[in-house]
Amino acid sequence: MNIVVFVKQVPDVPNIRIDEQRMTIIREGVESIINPLDCVALQASLELREREGGCITVISMGPPQSEEALREALAAGADQAILLTDSAFAGADTLATSHVLAMAVSKLQPFPDLLLCGMQTIDSDTGHVGPQIAEELDLPQVCGVNEIHMDGHLLVLKRLSEGFLDTIRVPLPALLTVSKDLCPVKNLSLGAVEAAFSQKDIIRWAAHDLGLQPDEVGLKGSATHVRKLRPPADRTGGRIVTGSPQFIVDALIHKLESMSILDEEDGNE
Amino acid sequence: MNKTFGGVWIFGDYRDYFQNRITLQLIAKGRELAETLNTGTTVVLLGDQIHQYAMEYVAHGADTVIVADHQNLKEYEVEKYTTLLAQWVKSYQPEIFLAGATSFGREFFPRLAKRLRTGLSADCVDLEVDPESFLLVQTTPAFGGELLAEVVTPDRRPQMATVHPGVFRELPHNAESVGHIIYPEVDVFPEPRVKIVRSKPQRTGKVSLEDASVVIAGGKGLGSKEQFELLYELAELLEGEVGATRPAVLSGWAGEDRLLGQTGKSVNAKLVISIGTSGALQYITGIQGAETVIAINRNPDAPVFRIVDLGLVADAATVLPILLETLRRRL
Ligand SMILES: Cc1cc2nc3c(=O)[nH]c(=O)nc-3n(C[C@H](O)[C@H](O)[C@H](O)COP(=O)(O)OP(=O)(O)OC[C@H]3O[C@@H](n4cnc5c(N)ncnc54)[C@H](O)[C@@H]3O)c2cc1C
Ligand SMILES: Cc1cc2nc3c(=O)[nH]c(=O)nc-3n(C[C@H](O)[C@H](O)[C@H](O)COP(=O)(O)OP(=O)(O)OC[C@H]3O[C@@H](n4cnc5c(N)ncnc54)[C@H](O)[C@@H]3O)c2cc1C
Repeated sequence: MNIVVFVKQVPDVPNIRIDEQRMTIIREGVESIINPLDCVALQASLELREREGGCITVISMGPPQSEEALREALAAGADQAILLTDSAFAGADTLATSHVLAMAVSKLQPFPDLLLCGMQTIDSDTGHVGPQIAEELDLPQVCGVNEIHMDGHLLVLKRLSEGFLDTIRVPLPALLTVSKDLCPVKNLSLGAVEAAFSQKDIIRWAAHDLGLQPDEVGLKGSATHVRKLRPPADRTGGRIVTGSPQFIVDALIHKLESMSILDEEDGNE
Repeated sequence: MNKTFGGVWIFGDYRDYFQNRITLQLIAKGRELAETLNTGTTVVLLGDQIHQYAMEYVAHGADTVIVADHQNLKEYEVEKYTTLLAQWVKSYQPEIFLAGATSFGREFFPRLAKRLRTGLSADCVDLEVDPESFLLVQTTPAFGGELLAEVVTPDRRPQMATVHPGVFRELPHNAESVGHIIYPEVDVFPEPRVKIVRSKPQRTGKVSLEDASVVIAGGKGLGSKEQFELLYELAELLEGEVGATRPAVLSGWAGEDRLLGQTGKSVNAKLVISIGTSGALQYITGIQGAETVIAINRNPDAPVFRIVDLGLVADAATVLPILLETLRRRL
């Protein structure tokens, strides 16, 4: 079974800064990691390869330093890594991102049997990219998978949806997005990381390698624009009360009365 | 084309109707947006024998309901729903198309947006029409809720968004409302590739935080499971439900189904009493839908006090027993 795992390099969220001009995040100077759910997908692909054989290709679209994420994936055991990098790709929304990723997949020979994404990322967190790759490649999709089995040529999956545990059958090729419950992620050993640095090459494709025009990708190929980033608004006019415990309780009771959640003390109840 | 068709569209999710109020919340917001755009609000409803829901949506404020009533549409299926809705969007050309950010909404709306080559924002916590450009401003949390992003779709249509359940308030049922209910011809669909062979309910209790009118929310500041248990008594006295912050859930004081916040549930309550919670943004996302927020925290500088209507600076362990005692005496 040939598997593609999509990995996105994301900033370690607590330390982000924002480029107010271009309304994008500044990645320089912030530690980058592989999106945690993409590590889950990668781990699942390793287990599937062990059972079913085949080859794992990891693909990432991003700035040149996304190479680190791919190196880590190679160290973890992926067979091949493709970096989609081009200044024209910058500022892409999910429509443009999924277009580039889907075009890269259609170049693969043979076409993969299984495509795995994280269910969402920790930075912009839309969860759109998986379903949108599936749509472009006309593949069936299942989101939020927490169990994967094979039954002949069919995948048998489990996932939680709206409080129900669904059991699902889907033929290959298919695209799945994975939830954190799919499998625990093992830590990569440093020795393996060094090995990956020395051994495997990373394939690099730019827009022209994929036959893409500049206006189909990046900011230009995007339908949405982030107009503004702002901190969440505060409520105003709140009253802060200090005092003895009884005074505090009285203030609370009074508020409940004024909201008619409690009847007035001398009311009829 | 009739302007009520071109306007604001809402995906009618009728499953678990009495618990799942997202469609009604979206109709209420949709009407507001439609008014600014001088157009109408339309619910699109797909399923099998679902006429009753069309009537409900009209009673809750929809101007038009477009219904595909077909035995083949009984199950919520990404591929069928995408195909049918893409056809309808192409013929009726709505300006705006909204769906709840439910598991299903988040699975099929991206696919639909892609087929329509239009933009989509995810899990919005606010929507508004810009008075100058008439664009839909879609506010969505980013970077774990640290920031809010205002997303617009300048050129392509419809402007699509999924919306976090519980952030908007439904309109009351009005049996006098009138609206159009339309049944366009529906094609038969090919068998979907994805087959759900079994669906087992996983709900543990019957915790319905989204619908409770009073929510007592507890945080790490309660200090122990025993203290947290007092919240159940308080909730019972005030006929409410108990919610919890992530650390309280992680400490095992409450189940995951009580988690409030960005990664949990959002309330739509009249009142939230938030006790021993610091007021992290990821948590606030879950309670900001409440009409009134009261917080109890012993630290006067706790960020939670920035968002409250009434802030009580006090030690929860001291105040809770007195409060319970006072309430018991009165009720
Ligand atoms: C503040 C902010 C708000 C945004 N809001 C929107 C919005 O509302 N709508 C919109 O369309 N875009 C939006 N974007 C743009 C969006 O973040 C990018 O398109 C991003 O590249 C992909 O979105 P995501 O991180 O949400 O991916 P998700 O859809 O959450 O990612 C799911 C999975 O897809 C795969 N994947 C995603 N990106 C890549 C990649 N570059 N390379 C390889 N695999 C990948 C991974 O497996 C990942 O786990 C926003 C960006 C910012 C900074
Ligand atoms: C990506 C991401 C997503 C997250 N999603 C969520 C989410 O969905 N929901 C969520 O809740 N959190 C979420 N978090 C965690 C969130 O950032 C906070 O850590 C969490 O909300 C804090 O919970 P708390 O207020 O209970 O605990 P703390 O921050 O520890 O606050 C305890 C408070 O109790 C007060 N206190 C202590 N003792 C007493 C006493 N005796 N009486 C009165 N007050 C007292 C303290 O002054 C303090 O303000 C998320 C974090 C990340 C990074």
